[in-house]
Amino acid sequence: MASVLITGANRGIGLELARQYAADGWRVHACCRNPAGADALVAALKGHDALVHPLDVTDAAAIAALRATLEHEPIDVLINNAGIIGGQHQALGDIDYDVWEQTIRTNVFAPYRVAEALVDLVAAGERRIIANVSSLMGSIADNSSGGRYIYRSSKTALNMVVVNLAQDLAEQGITVLAFHPGWVKTDMGGPNATVTPHESAAGMRKVIAEAGLDQSGGFFNYDGRVLAW
Amino acid sequence: MPTTLITGASRGIGLEFARQYQAAGWTVHAGARDPERADKLKALAGPGLTIHRLDVADRGQIAALGKTLAGRPIDLLINNAGLWVGEDERYGRFSDAQWMEQFHVHVMGTMAMCETFVENVASSEQKRIVQISSGNGSMGGRINVGDYPYNTSKAALNMINRSLAHDLAPRGIVAVCFTPGFVATDMSGPDADLTPQQSVGNMRALIETLGPQHSGTFLRHNGQSVPW
Repeated sequence: MASVLITGANRGIGLELARQYAADGWRVHACCRNPAGADALVAALKGHDALVHPLDVTDAAAIAALRATLEHEPIDVLINNAGIIGGQHQALGDIDYDVWEQTIRTNVFAPYRVAEALVDLVAAGERRIIANVSSLMGSIADNSSGGRYIYRSSKTALNMVVVNLAQDLAEQGITVLAFHPGWVKTDMGGPNATVTPHESAAGMRKVIAEAGLDQSGGFFNYDGRVLAW
Repeated sequence: MPTTLITGASRGIGLEFARQYQAAGWTVHAGARDPERADKLKALAGPGLTIHRLDVADRGQIAALGKTLAGRPIDLLINNAGLWVGEDERYGRFSDAQWMEQFHVHVMGTMAMCETFVENVASSEQKRIVQISSGNGSMGGRINVGDYPYNTSKAALNMINRSLAHDLAPRGIVAVCFTPGFVATDMSGPDADLTPQQSVGNMRALIETLGPQHSGTFLRHNGQSVPW
């Protein structure tokens, strides 16, 4: 069966992706900062071909350790899902620059570093997909309400990482995608969100299943619609 | 006469902005990381042009300059300071420290300048902020992909300017991103197809035309729109 590696898999969209891929018979590598506290993830994966790995995506040593653990196992689909929202101080005149730096490390550098570390395993897979959970908040064209400097800039930069990786990894047959997962009812999205985690994950899985190099470097809504940069 | 504050004014495009606005009679506040070694800028110092020590990655220095210039209108803030280290920005060849330095200069530094000097700009007549971005920050244009720290930080700069344009509109401030073209400077090397004089001359002419309809846009030095 195909295999998938998901970061930030202990809750929200990452948890739902792990649950759905496992239920579909995929081999799942579910990564999260603290596996001992990931009860929902462990429960969701029970009885399936799945492993939970400790991974703080901002920790280079942890990424290297994960790479060593995986040895030569091909990864068909890598999903860079782990992300943070950037704190409460994101308005003009009230910017928390330390949180901004941490948000860039988590939302921009980490997806790149995880991809870089695992690229040979993805290239060895059959699907050769690197999917990145970005956000419509990172769409410059869609920014008609301003503010949210930290989160927005991190997701725009992630989209640029996707564009660059798509070009650099095309030779290896790897497709790199950016997703807006929808406004999802999660801890991050809050209770007023309009999309369930199930709908979001199922939509992204369908887009991933159908994607090839022609889609590489694109920015997609969870339902497959192409989004403006 | 109007006043401008220019970051990264010791060389390249920033130096040329300082030179041209001084020649046009403006009051010029020119920021440079290392004023002692900014020989070309020092040669311009005199009536109307003041050099300030300013590393935009250092928020303490930005705050200090904010105190120095408190209460003085700034018609045009030009966030020009930037860095690019070329092939060492390609896939697999750069460190997180190098990447973060470019975020600090291009993104957080620009934001801190705007936060610090917003009252100066708002109290001026022209009320303009120009960010010197780059075609390499365009995801849709794909002019030259592959320099991760530079491209990602310039794309992020374009995003924060879009938010700034929205948030500053009620105060009548126009905030625009420019790509200066491929200009022959220390940064770009000798293969460039524009002189700093041409690029800055074009941008100055464009700046004079900027109105609210331009705020939040991304323009080439000649006024053409650049895709995000």
